Amino acid sequence: MSTPEGAAAHPQPAAAPAAAPGGEPAPGPAPGAAPVRESEPFEPAGVDWTPVSPRLASARLLVGLAWLAVPLVALVVVAAVTGSVWVWASAAVVVALVAWVVWLVPRQVRAMGYAERADDLLLRRGILFRSMVVVPYGRMQYVDVTAGPLARKLGIASVQLHTASPGTDASIDGLPTAEAARLRDQLASRGEARLAGL
Amino acid sequence: MTEDRPLPAAGPLPAGGVVPGAGPGAARVPAAGAPAAGVPAAGAAAGPAPEPAPPADDLAWRRMHPVTPAVKGWKVLAAVLAIIAWNAADDVRQLAEWLGGRAWLVIAGVVVLVALIGFGYSAIAWRMTRFAVTDEAVHLRSGVVFRQQRQARLDRLQAVDVVQPLLARIIGLSELRLEVAGGAGSAVSLAFLREAEAEQLRAELLARAAGLHPGRRPRPAGAPAHPAPGDPAAAPAGPAAPPLATTAPGAVPATDHPATADPEAALTLPVEPDADGGWEGAAPVAPERPVYEVPVGRLLASTLLSSATIWLVVMLGAVGALIVGTGQVGSAFALLPALLGVVSYTWTRFNRGANFRAAISPDGIRLRHGLTESRAQTVPPGRVQAVRVTQGLLWRKPDWWRVEVNVAGYGSNGDQTQTENVLLPVGTRDEAMLALWLVLPDLGTEDPRALVEAGLAGRTADGGWAVAPRRSRWLDPIGWRRHGVTVTDRALVLRSGVLVRQLVVVPHERTQSLGLEQGPLQRRLGLASFQLHSTPGPVSPRVDHLDQRVAAGLLDEQAARARSARAGAGPEQWMRRA
Repeated sequence: MSTPEGAAAHPQPAAAPAAAPGGEPAPGPAPGAAPVRESEPFEPAGVDWTPVSPRLASARLLVGLAWLAVPLVALVVVAAVTGSVWVWASAAVVVALVAWVVWLVPRQVRAMGYAERADDLLLRRGILFRSMVVVPYGRMQYVDVTAGPLARKLGIASVQLHTASPGTDASIDGLPTAEAARLRDQLASRGEARLAGL
Repeated sequence: MTEDRPLPAAGPLPAGGVVPGAGPGAARVPAAGAPAAGVPAAGAAAGPAPEPAPPADDLAWRRMHPVTPAVKGWKVLAAVLAIIAWNAADDVRQLAEWLGGRAWLVIAGVVVLVALIGFGYSAIAWRMTRFAVTDEAVHLRSGVVFRQQRQARLDRLQAVDVVQPLLARIIGLSELRLEVAGGAGSAVSLAFLREAEAEQLRAELLARAAGLHPGRRPRPAGAPAHPAPGDPAAAPAGPAAPPLATTAPGAVPATDHPATADPEAALTLPVEPDADGGWEGAAPVAPERPVYEVPVGRLLASTLLSSATIWLVVMLGAVGALIVGTGQVGSAFALLPALLGVVSYTWTRFNRGANFRAAISPDGIRLRHGLTESRAQTVPPGRVQAVRVTQGLLWRKPDWWRVEVNVAGYGSNGDQTQTENVLLPVGTRDEAMLALWLVLPDLGTEDPRALVEAGLAGRTADGGWAVAPRRSRWLDPIGWRRHGVTVTDRALVLRSGVLVRQLVVVPHERTQSLGLEQGPLQRRLGLASFQLHSTPGPVSPRVDHLDQRVAAGLLDEQAARARSARAGAGPEQWMRRA
């Protein structure tokens, strides 16, 4: 993880956020109305995350590698014909990119997860840029289930929840088809039970 | 599109489909006749009609005003001519040269032809357009080639606007717009109606959406349909009511106001609030009392003190420099489009904010504004999803604030955001607080004024604010001091912005979903950003760089709080007891 000067100047283990950098007095629990959650911010207590299917990684890798294969093949052909060092170097860059994608995508997919709680659905994703969304069942306006040709081949589908807010970015990719159908019905019935206006 | 299938909602109407204002048995609309008298009752409509037969159901279908095509036709004409002028100006010029002296004749002919097509199309469209109002919904049938039948459920009604474009205003017509929160283009537009008819229809729709029904049951004797302004029963919420007409300090209301969505809202009801309340004859118009208005002088000054003015000055300077530098006036034309953009933005802002008046009524917030195009908005209780109070740098000296709201359905047209989402174009601090009070009579705290003051200008954690820790200055060197959030019993309050100050208030029951975000730098510093997702609009509530444990705790708490607030929220039909 490369960090620009701000954090580098104040090395700071992520696990100990209370010790503020720059020699400042460590703030106690913030003096706000909001309570403090002592566990990891992206690990709410008592939540069992359901991971998505690892087949999503295969799907994304296939697509990503297919895109990278085109310039790679082109570069290799050109390099073989011209013998230029620079073209070989470019090809090497693309190879490095391929390696990075192969390393990254399965990790990304492993970081994705969702949890059905009594009244809301929790979604999280991201390694470097982490995000978590809480969608109350009663706020769902509709649920989309989509599966492209590749996803169908691999037996996965994505479920997307829509609230009245376009900001709600709540899509779960890479659910096994049966699980996607179950989740869709589950969300629909829970949403209906709790639906409240807008 | 289903053509003549009876609508499922047709049931509840009594036989004959009599709607207030409908003359039973009145026949076709005569070309110059008053539409209110010419509403075809269902029975009469089945008779030999010379026009496209109204749908064979027992809805009381009504027509727009017959002058509508004349008003709308101009739009078509103007649009077509504008397109020609923009896209084919050169071709037209060449054509004109080729035609020589007869050019004007040809141009006039084209204009007449376009006008004929425009007005003709509008006339046909008018013939095909009908609407009906039932207890549950407003039905609108339209379309010449592609027929459309739209049904807007009244319990999903988000706002009702009466819009008068300049031309319609001169003739005395109004457009009635119903927002039902279905995304872009979901509004039901009834254009055009006579002014009085539009007002009457608005009252009727609001009454029906509030859960009152016409003719179901006579009003208990003695219940006044229109409480006199001085009637103590009509005064807002008893002795603790704020002096609404004043904007003196301390005008911000006490906390013991009923909730916005409470059926016993700030004003008494125009009708006895029975479980199935009813009225006879015309729908009662909810009494309203003015809350604030914006003087023209202040609006003008505030428009001049906006960032657009700075751009204008910069632009004019650039134009001057170009002319002096190059010695040619022509080179300045390069900047003309940008200049026009700024001027038009400023003008739009002024035009739409002019004559701004706000009032409160049992039907919710009423806003009236507009210089050329006038607009009267009604936002029922509990329909405001989020409020934002902002102050640009130049407004700090006079202490002016602008208040905007998110209402589902409003602003989905993009350029309408300037018009529909403004609760107060410019006002003093006290007026801004009044505007907040309009949306949320009860902020759910002991001292709402102190809370709002701290939110508008405060920088410290005093008063229960969770603020961004000092280490967040690495990520936001200027703004970090103002990032803060606090929670009351009724709403989440977020503040931000050192240069452009900003305060956002979201009632708990209007929370759509919540988000927590953390980038790599934030992770190093133990910070996280909290986000609340609201309906589309100018307000996007978020607070950046909180301590990650505070942000995570806020997420947990807010999810629970929103849930219980939703469960306790009043009914969508705001005059119906839960």
